[in-house]
Amino acid sequence: MVEFDRSAFISKFQEEATEYLQRLNEGVITLEAEPKNRELIDQMLRDAHTLKGSSRMVGLIEISDVAHRLEDIMVKVRDGDMAYVPEMSDAFFEALDTIVFLSDNAGKEVAGETDIPSLLARLATIAGDAADVEPTAAERTLEEPQTLAESKSADSKKTPKKKSSPKKAIHDEETLQTRVQHTVRVRTEQVDRLLNLVSEVVIAQIKDEQRSRDLRGLLALMNESHQMWSRVRTAAANYSTQDSLAHAEDLDMLDELLVDQRRRLAGIVKAYSDDASRASTVVTDLQEHSMALRMLPVSTVFNAFPRSVRDLAHQFNKDVELEIEGGDTELDKKVLEEINDPLIHIMRNAVDHGIESTVVREAAGKPAKGTIHLAARQEGDHIVIEISDDGAGIDPEKVRAAAIRKGYITPAEARAMSDREATYLIFDAGFSTSAIITEISGRGVGMDVVREYIVEKLKGSLDVTSVLGEGTTFRLTIPLTLAIIRALLVSVDGRKFALPTASIEETLRIDPSEIIKVEGRVVIRRQRRTIPIVYLTEVLGIDAPSGGGRKLPVVTVGFSGHRIGFVVDAFVGEQQIVIKTLGTHLLRVDNVAGVTILGAGEVVPILNVPDLMHHARQMAGMGARRAEVKVDSGPRRILICEDSFTTRELERSIFEAAGYEVETATDGAIGLAKLREGLRVHAVVTDVQMPNMSGFELTRAIKSDSILKVIPVVIVTSLEREEEKAEGIEAGADAYITKSVFNQDTLIETVERLIG
Amino acid sequence: MSSEAPYIRESLAQQSLDILRQRADSLAQSDEVEVAAEITSLLLFRLGEEWYAVPIAGVREIINDFVLTPIPRVPEFIRGVMNVRGEIVSVTDIAAMMRIASEAKGVGLQLPSVIVVRNERCVSALVVDEIGDIVDVARTLVEPPLATLDRSQVEFIGGSIYLDGKLVGIVNLDRVLEPIGENA
Repeated sequence: MVEFDRSAFISKFQEEATEYLQRLNEGVITLEAEPKNRELIDQMLRDAHTLKGSSRMVGLIEISDVAHRLEDIMVKVRDGDMAYVPEMSDAFFEALDTIVFLSDNAGKEVAGETDIPSLLARLATIAGDAADVEPTAAERTLEEPQTLAESKSADSKKTPKKKSSPKKAIHDEETLQTRVQHTVRVRTEQVDRLLNLVSEVVIAQIKDEQRSRDLRGLLALMNESHQMWSRVRTAAANYSTQDSLAHAEDLDMLDELLVDQRRRLAGIVKAYSDDASRASTVVTDLQEHSMALRMLPVSTVFNAFPRSVRDLAHQFNKDVELEIEGGDTELDKKVLEEINDPLIHIMRNAVDHGIESTVVREAAGKPAKGTIHLAARQEGDHIVIEISDDGAGIDPEKVRAAAIRKGYITPAEARAMSDREATYLIFDAGFSTSAIITEISGRGVGMDVVREYIVEKLKGSLDVTSVLGEGTTFRLTIPLTLAIIRALLVSVDGRKFALPTASIEETLRIDPSEIIKVEGRVVIRRQRRTIPIVYLTEVLGIDAPSGGGRKLPVVTVGFSGHRIGFVVDAFVGEQQIVIKTLGTHLLRVDNVAGVTILGAGEVVPILNVPDLMHHARQMAGMGARRAEVKVDSGPRRILICEDSFTTRELERSIFEAAGYEVETATDGAIGLAKLREGLRVHAVVTDVQMPNMSGFELTRAIKSDSILKVIPVVIVTSLEREEEKAEGIEAGADAYITKSVFNQDTLIETVERLIG
Repeated sequence: MSSEAPYIRESLAQQSLDILRQRADSLAQSDEVEVAAEITSLLLFRLGEEWYAVPIAGVREIINDFVLTPIPRVPEFIRGVMNVRGEIVSVTDIAAMMRIASEAKGVGLQLPSVIVVRNERCVSALVVDEIGDIVDVARTLVEPPLATLDRSQVEFIGGSIYLDGKLVGIVNLDRVLEPIGENA
């Protein structure tokens, strides 16, 4: 572990602790009046837990110990092992006051002024396990007459313990101070704001260069007119008549003026070009250095993994070791924040499904202990992270079988799939998430989350190779930074769109006669491969006549083992673009990953490749099942219970677009009333948190009603905690969709599968 | 000259004393300041035939003549996004949102003027037919929204007020600015 300077974080901790202590103090008081307030108990438990963790992080062990005891008590209260009685409050307040005192005096010598061991003992007595508590970390150190500052330094510096003297403490203080001067702690938002401004400068610079080119063009024009003028002048001199002689003086003057103008313009153009190119170098440097501000080593994320893998191995009763390589590879903080979850998911899968049990491994002649290898390295402007395990590997047959069983693909489709394509099915949203409720198999938990993070959020790519019996390797390729990518600009219906170059395989110009129909799909043949063709306008829902006639520009995009050609009106060009979000109001839009601003200030949407592929696959007839379902049934009606207007309207439009009749209710109670009044629907789609009656209550009410219970209930919610999912299932919900994976297709597909 | 200098200094001292006194007075009058807080400022705007208002506290700026970039497959009341000095801001068709007839419907990518509004979470630009005056009204005159309002409108109107005998609906910005696509 890297040794780090805890003192710099103490003030941060103090700031944070004040808030938690305040809330805990208020909590104790409220709890006296309402000892069964579950929400409050949970809140206090969380606060005590956070205090424990963050104080330990900054080396304030005593605070951590006291908070730990408070947490113990709250756990017992929560679990019903004991009831909160007002008599406990005194000890609670004393504990909180002690924490305040310790926090205020962090780093000072205060051990003599409080009696922490006796407080801890009293708290332990309340928790009812005084006899069997181990001495805590601080108690152990406090057995020797040490001061707080010294125990802190001993803890943070791994120095062999020796009798410390006050002089040593002072010395420490000095080294800490000199160290602090080398770095400045800056809030991430400040860096982000800076980076936003830098990208504005980059855009301004691009405009500048454009102007510089325009000016050079103007100069060339001027040179040309001057040459023409010279010719005219010479010719005019030959005609010298009385009249022209009279104007000779004017002509001389005009000539002089023109020469002067040209000279001056040439000077300006040169100065401007020089400035622009000098500024360009500076801006490039500025951009690079400011990006570097946000770069952190991947070890900041990786270091937590050995522990996670150990816990996971324990949970699944496996014997697994994690090897880490390339922890010092640097990555944009924004990217780092996003890779934690997908990596955890992959490792979880590796432990759960990849690595075999010890018995199986030994029988297969493998070492008893499984190994997961996590490696990061930089390749050009990308970071490659590989997670390999030496487990059983992915069996494409099993994946096919599971996909057929879940109704995700037909047996015919399964047969047509290559092993590679079948393996990729594990990343499909429909494959893993839609199954979470109907059969909680625990299989393939959230592999689509991996896809969502890596591909959608990080604009990276994801690859999996697996050898049956030998192991699986996931390879994530992630751009170094999220701020700038290369993109192909295309235009359809007079509007420009940007496609990330990373996902483009090739650009073609095809003759309309090359487009053929095969099994109801529109395709082209390309080097003995068949590529489905889709008009970009159709995918984006833009009403525009298709050009037809001459050669059609086609962009072929590859993603997760699939390939699709998108017909556009024109290729505009390829360039670096600065990625911006759609603003604070539009958080997630189908097909659009963000926007960029071109030199002229023009805003261009950046297309989201996974979304496009998904919709395109359906249009190209690969999601034919959906269409079939719709044909063999009359209009279907659903009830949407949702208090948020936008979500409700969004869901309404999704269902109406799919041909449903939609009834809405602004909360569970209204929804239930409508159903009881005789409203007949094929399915109910409900939010969880709503006034009057929550989605869970609504679900329970529907499922306990002898008439209504046959109606499938789909819960759509932002709650993602396992317990809440469990509560949803327990209430009788037929499917559970979290808003983070929410898009119109998962919603429609889930409902259709349930009605189906 | 030199004889004047002390005089100037004295008058400066006098001035700063006066300023301090004024400050002290104004602090002592904090009661009156609270009375002032009972006044709320509203920016009026027109949609079709009717006038509406947004609390001025939620108005960030007014922008004329901007270029709209449509975004495919968004709810009908989102016209697209615009570039406000490098910041991307969504453009909300508030008339479509409240299902009111307005003139902005047929307008293309060049929109006349928008009101950029914000709350703690979001910023969006509202398309309106005409921007009116800023009026100061006493909070006590603000009434709850009319019960006769259309159901589709009622959730967007936080209150109403009579101005020159006309009823003006005050837009509930928190409702209008609910984030789209995901719910936090």
